Amino acid sequence: MFFRNMIFFIAESWKNLFRNGWMSIASIGVVAVTLFILSVFVLVNLNVHHITEEVKDDIEIALYIDEEAGGEERNQLLEKLRNHPDIAEFEFISKEEGLERLREQMGEEAGLLEGYDNPEENPLRDSYEISTSIPEQVPQVAGELETYPAVGSVEYGSEVVENLFSFTRVLQITVMALMVALALTATFLISHTIRLTMMLRKREIMIMKYVGATNWFIRWPFLFEGFNLGVLGTVLPLAGIYFGYQSVLEWIEGNLPFIPPLVSHEAAMWEVSHVVVPLGVVLGILGSAISIGRYLKV
Amino acid sequence: MIEAHNVTKKFHDGSQALKKVSFLIERGEFVFFVGHSGAGKSTLFKMFIKELVPTSGTLKVFGREVSSLRGKQVSVLRRNIGIVFQDFRLLEEKTLYDNIAFAMRAAGATPKEMKKVIPQVLEQVGLKNKIFSKVGELSGGELQRVGIARAISNRPNMIVADEPTGNLDPKTSMEIINLLRSINIKGTTVLVATHDQHIVDELKKRVIYLENGQLVGDEAKGAYARVL
Repeated sequence: MFFRNMIFFIAESWKNLFRNGWMSIASIGVVAVTLFILSVFVLVNLNVHHITEEVKDDIEIALYIDEEAGGEERNQLLEKLRNHPDIAEFEFISKEEGLERLREQMGEEAGLLEGYDNPEENPLRDSYEISTSIPEQVPQVAGELETYPAVGSVEYGSEVVENLFSFTRVLQITVMALMVALALTATFLISHTIRLTMMLRKREIMIMKYVGATNWFIRWPFLFEGFNLGVLGTVLPLAGIYFGYQSVLEWIEGNLPFIPPLVSHEAAMWEVSHVVVPLGVVLGILGSAISIGRYLKV
Repeated sequence: MIEAHNVTKKFHDGSQALKKVSFLIERGEFVFFVGHSGAGKSTLFKMFIKELVPTSGTLKVFGREVSSLRGKQVSVLRRNIGIVFQDFRLLEEKTLYDNIAFAMRAAGATPKEMKKVIPQVLEQVGLKNKIFSKVGELSGGELQRVGIARAISNRPNMIVADEPTGNLDPKTSMEIINLLRSINIKGTTVLVATHDQHIVDELKKRVIYLENGQLVGDEAKGAYARVL
């Protein structure tokens, strides 16, 4: 009985969809546009997050040891670094190693460093390269390290790090706000379409009520219609993203080689469909439920 | 079958549609409700199916207080009452078969039941030969026959007909009333609200008279003109 009715309700919902042809197309269109814009934002957010994570992994604290610090103080510092809960790993770089690295970095210009090989002449200091468990903790940990014994100075490119973190935060808040606004618009439109169906089917609904249809018997086709609108509204944006993102990736690879690798096509489709499909379904059912609650007194 | 005790209905605008109306209708009766427009007939009929509820007093249908029915209980009540409307309320773009199937499905019938019952009820109202005709192709009398066929399709215990002949000529009206009479003879209780003096006088059945929301008469073999 239940399954037979469900098949009937689904068939009815499709009939309604075609019966209100233009209004259905308008609703599906708006849902599609909404979800497409949303998908683009999801992709941007995803890639910014991806790049941020890459950059974050490179964020390290450079701790320079005070040249005048003695062995005892240096040992104390080492002990403190070992026991610090937020420090994931650290590496000691002697000033000789430092010089060697500098020479590698300078490449052809390395000749300028001639004469500094003598330890007495080496202007660099012994240091530690420190990475934290959570990149966002870098500023706080760096501040703490400055108070430790034997520490000459601490550097971590503070401005870049803080700007990066605040940009990511602003982007995420903007995306969330846009998502809510667009979702509300789509819900409103779906609710409007369902309401139109109800008005067209007013006579049928009245007859159903008089012959003893249960409330749910009357409600189900409208819920399915909302579901259909929502699901159909996800097809276009997913197709758009499927073909569009591939082209964007290829274009960036060919024209902007300095941009770090973006999220792969498969991973992006996976993430976008995880947001768009459930959202389309929820918007469809929600829009329908609003109309049922407000206009269908069963 | 129906037990009304001091049933009163006041609307939000302050108008009073029914004032302390009491009566008892037994199973298998045929009863006319007569009175001018606004006398309270339609309000009372709407209460039988819980489209409205009394402001005070008690109304029991099939032994149950209508005001206390909730959700599915209301559906069950309505499945036991076949309703016939003055304006037929049929789906014009559908066939006779589909119109009745639509109502039967909504009331929970299976496709097998529909296939069996629909030809039977259409035969009962004399329209079996038009089973797959569109409702839009029928005459007024035929439309009301389909309305009656739909009302009896779920095998109700009671038929409630609000002005069933209001849109029909005298000859067709008599045919419709005779059809309802034949349904009543088979045991179904039939309640008819009407302005049609001819059919009331012709049938000599029980008549309940309403005037300005009050019950002013109740006669076992009444005539339309008693108080009007």
